Amino acid sequence: MMRRSTLAAAFLLPAALCAQTRRDFSTSRQLHGETRLTARIEYGAGSLRMAPATGGDLYRLVMSYDGDRYTPLSSFDAGNGSVRLGLASTGSGGLHIGSRRQLEQTAFVTLSPAVGLDLSLELGAVEADIELGGLQLTDLRLTTGASRTTLRFSRPNAGRCARATLSGGAADISILGLGNSRCRQVEFDGGVGKVLLDLTGTWPSDARVRVQMAVGALTLRLPRDLGIRLTLDRFLSSFPASGWTRQGNAYLSPGYAHSARHLDLALSSTLGGIDVEWVN
Amino acid sequence: MRTPSALLAVLTLTLVTPQAAQATGRPAIEAARDIWGMIQQLRGDHDSAQAGVRPQALQPASAGEAPVDLSDLSHPARLESRLAPLTRLPPARMRATVAGGQGRVGDYSVGSEQTVQGHLLILRGDADVYGRVQGNVVAVDGDITVHTGAVIQGDVLAIHGKVREQGGVIDGEIRTLSAAPAGAAVTLSPMQLTLRRLAGLAGVAITLGVLGLGLVAFGRHNLEIVSDTVSHSFGRAFVTGLLGQILLLPTFGMIVVGLVLSVAGILLLPFAVAAYVLLAVVGLVGGYLAVAHALGETYTRRRLAQGTMVAAPNSYRFLLTGLIAMLALWLAWAAFGWVPVAGDLIRGAAILVTWLLGTAGFGAALLSRAGVRENFAGRIIPPEALTDEYLWATPQFGVPAVRRPGVTRSPTGGP
Repeated sequence: MMRRSTLAAAFLLPAALCAQTRRDFSTSRQLHGETRLTARIEYGAGSLRMAPATGGDLYRLVMSYDGDRYTPLSSFDAGNGSVRLGLASTGSGGLHIGSRRQLEQTAFVTLSPAVGLDLSLELGAVEADIELGGLQLTDLRLTTGASRTTLRFSRPNAGRCARATLSGGAADISILGLGNSRCRQVEFDGGVGKVLLDLTGTWPSDARVRVQMAVGALTLRLPRDLGIRLTLDRFLSSFPASGWTRQGNAYLSPGYAHSARHLDLALSSTLGGIDVEWVN
Repeated sequence: MRTPSALLAVLTLTLVTPQAAQATGRPAIEAARDIWGMIQQLRGDHDSAQAGVRPQALQPASAGEAPVDLSDLSHPARLESRLAPLTRLPPARMRATVAGGQGRVGDYSVGSEQTVQGHLLILRGDADVYGRVQGNVVAVDGDITVHTGAVIQGDVLAIHGKVREQGGVIDGEIRTLSAAPAGAAVTLSPMQLTLRRLAGLAGVAITLGVLGLGLVAFGRHNLEIVSDTVSHSFGRAFVTGLLGQILLLPTFGMIVVGLVLSVAGILLLPFAVAAYVLLAVVGLVGGYLAVAHALGETYTRRRLAQGTMVAAPNSYRFLLTGLIAMLALWLAWAAFGWVPVAGDLIRGAAILVTWLLGTAGFGAALLSRAGVRENFAGRIIPPEALTDEYLWATPQFGVPAVRRPGVTRSPTGGP
């Protein structure tokens, strides 16, 4: 009997040790007449979704995380109206045995469209789907590591965005409807990977976009009704120049002179291909 | 699994609760309610557990015990680890002092005309707020409901529960943290920890042993040359291994970049990456096993020299003996790793020694080109030693030939 129970314990003990501490955490704050918010989202690993809030929240984060390795971040500074949300590593590494599903971390963040938003996103190995359309963005900074990120502006930004700084490491990044961000200055630094820059949307009158790609494939999705002045700096990179009009060291998009809105696009690519898709 | 846990709970409580009930002089019915609540909680039945708890004020902690600080709720997991052990006690034995506030056990309601000054802690019960709380509200194993007209002037945190916003105003942050799944947060006793480490070590030893035996069976010649290289040129092997480790990543980067830049090479990239990683792993593991072989061989030969009879002094024996010696430090760590300070020292020593030997083995594998090149293995005997001229009376070197009498040579040639 004793031997049997010992044997059972020997089999059951490893099973208990292999279990993951999966925790659910949520944090939110009611909207109490705030006019602006500085939000910093830090998320190291897992999948992340972001969207404008529909209720009366200033912000809300709902996540499921690995309690052995991470700890939730949630701190609001009422003095300067800033919030820090996300996950921080506890620094405890080691091997975790379990299925891929067990290790998945998920987070859903909503931010109020009723306040001016200065947003910083720092993402690690993350699969992110970020919808910022309809928010009142005043400033945007996005840094990703080895991620697959989709950043959307499905609706025009309701605020005045001064600048958007986007940076990707070894990433697969799609930025859709960038014109709807209504940022006067957009800077994109791509490392290694695949990038889709969809420049459709409602651009402000004198917007400037600077794109710098190191190694990888860049696809530019350009609206036909937008007058684009392109300056190109490339090394070992291909660019389909047909349809563009050369003017000095710049290229002008078809119908540039007759376009109601104009965009200055500075493109620098070291190694890789540049594709252009025209959309109506 | 539920029945044994309930039985365990009943057994524990029959030992624990009578003393507590007698000490406080409570009626038997309250003690029975506490027992039932405990059983339900151990079974994981959260709501029923609360139903069994009689609402009461949380008794203050004894002098000298640190009070519970609810002023900063931004680290809920930290607060959970402080409060969760408290909630596992019977209500009568729960004792804690809330700094700048008050604590309650069981369900608690703040009336619409009521104002609670300071923080509010509720253990194993739901909080219903209709009035005003001038501080933070924390519930452990319970929900917090903020009804219409209620005002909470601080943060709200429900550990293992929910926060229901039903029209009330919460000035601060609203947080919830779910319970960890049962069995996830395992605190191991030294015995369990030792058993776990021993099991891990046995797994590693068996894996290395099987790999080593395979290597002896199918690549003995190469293994012996790498092993001899370690024995004869340990210092050089270590330095080479160190350089090899440093250059491992840059070399990999150069190969990848080189293949990417040469258009045709891109197709070879996946194969090159796989081959490189495989070679590196084979070099490291093979080198480590070769060091084990060298250690075992040295030890066995010493025993033979002392006249000890050793059965089957062959490569299999050398390798297994060496592996046991190399894993001995890890065995010490597995057995005594739980000892404070000493455990860390043993672990550090084991890591250092393993790295030293692994580096030397890797270097020997590089120097001997995975056991193909014998220069460093001490196996190449000088050419003069291969001749039979040592048998001659005249030494081979060092005696100039005698000139033929009557013949002189000039630099221009010819006599």
